[in-house]
Amino acid sequence: MFKLARRNILRQRARSGLTLAAIALGVASLVLSGGFIDDILLQLREATIRSQLGHLQIYKRGQFASGGHHPYDFLIESPEVIERAVDAVPGVVARAARVSFSGLISNGRGELPILGEGIEPEPEARIGSAISMLAGLKLAAADDFGMMVGEGLAHAFKLKVGDRVNLVLTTREGAMNTLDFKVVGIFRSLSKEYDARAVRIGLRAAQELTATSGVNAVVVLLASTDLTTRARADLEARLPPGYEVKTWQELADFYNSTAALYERQFGVLQIIILVMVLLSVANSVNMTLHERTPEFGIMRALGRTKRDVFRLAVLETALLGLIGATIGVVVGATLAAVISMIGIPMPPPPNSESGFTATIRVVPVILAGAFAVGILGTIGAALLPARHLARIPVAEALRRGV
Amino acid sequence: MASSDERSAANIVQSLPRRYGAIGARSRHPKQVLVRVENVSKQYRLDDQLVPALSSVNLNIEKGVFMAIAGPSGSGKSTLLNLIGCIDTPTSGRIFIGDQDVSSKSPDQLASLRARTIGFIFQTFNLLPVLSAEENVEYPLLQFKELSVAQRQQRVQHYLEVVGLSEYARHRPNQLSGGQRQRVAIARALVVHPKIILADEPTANLDHKTGGRILRLMRRINRQTGTTFVFSTHDQRVIDMAIRRVDLEDGEIVRLGVRVAKEWVYAMERVIDSTADSEEDDA
Repeated sequence: MFKLARRNILRQRARSGLTLAAIALGVASLVLSGGFIDDILLQLREATIRSQLGHLQIYKRGQFASGGHHPYDFLIESPEVIERAVDAVPGVVARAARVSFSGLISNGRGELPILGEGIEPEPEARIGSAISMLAGLKLAAADDFGMMVGEGLAHAFKLKVGDRVNLVLTTREGAMNTLDFKVVGIFRSLSKEYDARAVRIGLRAAQELTATSGVNAVVVLLASTDLTTRARADLEARLPPGYEVKTWQELADFYNSTAALYERQFGVLQIIILVMVLLSVANSVNMTLHERTPEFGIMRALGRTKRDVFRLAVLETALLGLIGATIGVVVGATLAAVISMIGIPMPPPPNSESGFTATIRVVPVILAGAFAVGILGTIGAALLPARHLARIPVAEALRRGV
Repeated sequence: MASSDERSAANIVQSLPRRYGAIGARSRHPKQVLVRVENVSKQYRLDDQLVPALSSVNLNIEKGVFMAIAGPSGSGKSTLLNLIGCIDTPTSGRIFIGDQDVSSKSPDQLASLRARTIGFIFQTFNLLPVLSAEENVEYPLLQFKELSVAQRQQRVQHYLEVVGLSEYARHRPNQLSGGQRQRVAIARALVVHPKIILADEPTANLDHKTGGRILRLMRRINRQTGTTFVFSTHDQRVIDMAIRRVDLEDGEIVRLGVRVAKEWVYAMERVIDSTADSEEDDA
């Protein structure tokens, strides 16, 4: 039967070619659109991780639930315990301690409320690789009284690199404290919201300012995002009780909703592609089988059953599906590579200022999925016409040829 | 079913002296009935109408005959042939092949019967276009699990030789002439060693000379192997080669004929509806 199916396909060059084109086009479209979505989400995810969140954050239990409004209540007094646990987890690339505070900055002309972070400049630079500096430099270890200011905040205060600003906050005991800082850089992260209220100063300066000696969080960067779940479990096992580990996914609200939005949109697009391909394949298959009704009639007159005829028709179409899907995957992957070399300029995602360049990722899972859809869709499209063909009474099938 | 006319015709044949050759010799012994058509009617539904194709047809076909079902187009010849060939089922009545009632069989059972018992030669569209001549001849044998590849090949080559197409074994149908294609179809029909070969207007698409050759080939095979041949035709030459004839008009048998020497001896069928069953109703 295989030989027969193969030859039948080859004989009907033009018709087979058309069906093949339809399948290949559909599969290639799925490869390209799938790879495109995958890249966008990936870039969004990595930017999210590498601009503020890191892969994992460790807090004292309760800080997350409180919404971060009372950072003083959840200070980690001896971060070394945490840091040792982190260092023991495989896959950790960097870790940094942070102190959180809220207060005001003023520059003589006015005041604005801010959310502040005291950071370890060196490891944070590695963690925050997706943060871009619009002006000036990232905070350096030597900048005892340097400050990085978010884009929105700088704009609101018309701050430039080199300006002096005064930071005012309430200490742990409830006293007011103030210190002068020099703006060393203006940064842009992935979140416009964040940039509108954020300042970053050195960890020691923050501890001095708040009159504390603890930290609020330890942020961890891993070698790759795939390690997140395992690393989290590992870390949780090593930490003493009273601490909790949050992954970036649990922290990234806007990523999650943006990702959901994009995925839904593209999901719909893919369904539309699928339906269109199925219809054109079904049409093509239907025409072919209809034309060859007398041929199948002869087979039945010679003693083949309805089931034999059905199987042959489906087999032929399945072969076409196989070839078409293969072509589609190859074409799709090749196009993806070419387009990726050129790059697709993208506008900023929601809540962001920076546009980026998208590529089309060639991912085995997506290729396999598109391939499967190609074959299964083709076979599915063939089932009804094949069944109809097999059921025509033999005498009538033969008559149709005349 | 048998009228006195028919019975007297039968008596004539059976009393023929030997010198009438092969026909006479075979007629001396009562022949085995291969196919029995009992009061068969067939109607088609065409849009909203019921078209009667056959009405109350009764017929016995003996083993080894070379029979023509004759009649103008629309008389029901092809329909009768299709019913005998089990590619269609009667609206009423029964058909027996051997002693099996085929009108009550399932499509799968009929398929199996067709595969082993019946050989078909159609007017057009005989061969599968993607297979070579020998592959076409081999095709029906693929279902015979009991045959080895070698045995299949042997049969295929034998029958290709019988029809004179051994040189063209590898050719595809589109590389063969009409006559050659018919010969491949004959070989294919023979290869399963069928009890009966049914041919629907086998010479209709062939030129005179080729048609004649094909007919003579089939007649030769019929004589040599004893395979029963039944044609539907309106071609006089075909009828001239037959030894039995059934004339149809508007779906009814109007006469049955037996060839005696070079002439036809006819029996008239009663045109009025007959309800009595027949034992031997052919002449």
